[in-house]
Amino acid sequence: MPEGNGMILAKEEENDAEVRREDQDKINEFGRLNARLYEVREEISSLKKLLEKIDDASTELMMGNGDRVMLRLGEAMFEATEDEATEFCEAEVERHQETVDKLSEEESEILERQAELKKILYGRFGKSINLEEK
Amino acid sequence: MSTPASTTSEIESEEKSVANISLESITDGKNSRGIPTTKFLDDIETFANSFSPPASPELLIGAYSDLYSKFKAYEQQLSQKSATFREKLPEIEKSIALVRHLKKKKEEGSSVVTRYNLADTIYAKAEVDCSQGIVNLWLGANVMLEYTYDEALSLLTSKENLAKKEFKEVTEDLTFTRNQIITSEVNISRIYNWDVRRKRANLATRSN
Repeated sequence: MPEGNGMILAKEEENDAEVRREDQDKINEFGRLNARLYEVREEISSLKKLLEKIDDASTELMMGNGDRVMLRLGEAMFEATEDEATEFCEAEVERHQETVDKLSEEESEILERQAELKKILYGRFGKSINLEEK
Repeated sequence: MSTPASTTSEIESEEKSVANISLESITDGKNSRGIPTTKFLDDIETFANSFSPPASPELLIGAYSDLYSKFKAYEQQLSQKSATFREKLPEIEKSIALVRHLKKKKEEGSSVVTRYNLADTIYAKAEVDCSQGIVNLWLGANVMLEYTYDEALSLLTSKENLAKKEFKEVTEDLTFTRNQIITSEVNISRIYNWDVRRKRANLATRSN
């Protein structure tokens, strides 16, 4: 990119390979995967935080003295027995853990595909292309 | 290019007239929701010469830079829309969970003691009789309607599905726009490099 990172190559380092349509498609795919990677990573981290919170809540529940507890659904709180609350927490944990696992899988698939694309594009364009993170 | 729909740049130089680069000549039609597709340039030389008179690299770079900034602005809009959806969807899901909980309580025949938000920092205790089977849903614009549990569930689930569908569309548009941004950037680089090589070649032939 002209103004980008000011990488002016020496004449010998210049790569004369023309950018073909398929190369453009691969570059586009790489960019697309990169954007998706950031989204996935963000989602995973926020879900992990949520799981931590639920975990803390379950621990508190276990240490409780068998009283009725307040369960928060949406904006209001409902009185619930300890068992109900524990059940609810466990169901939530399971649900979110599933999502986290699925997202982690997607993350590794993306990284795999990106490594493949990197090899192809670096092989073709050498130093003329930069596919690293900032 | 005889009748351009919208001209992106017109520079009058003293010795020669310059090509009008229309939006159509640098784009390849539109996608299903009206976002233009950047034209991929297989060969820059042929493309530049396809204008009459042949377009200068500056003009081409200018035209593509304009397109690039338009895409960037549109991408911003779409990202904001997508963020709004990311917030809205969990809210709808929470409401659905709430109604299901009430429904369950009704089937069990028990009443629910809840603490609801009376004011910002105060919660008030209330006993909810679930046997009525009625919830009131806030529809926005200061409108609230009464629904049975089942009606409420079907309304909320249809809202959720609609939101999910629109979210998917926005995500697709975002991906598409990002592709166009990358293609435009690459086009700009290639035009620039092509121009550098051309000038270098001209210098070489002149000095021979």
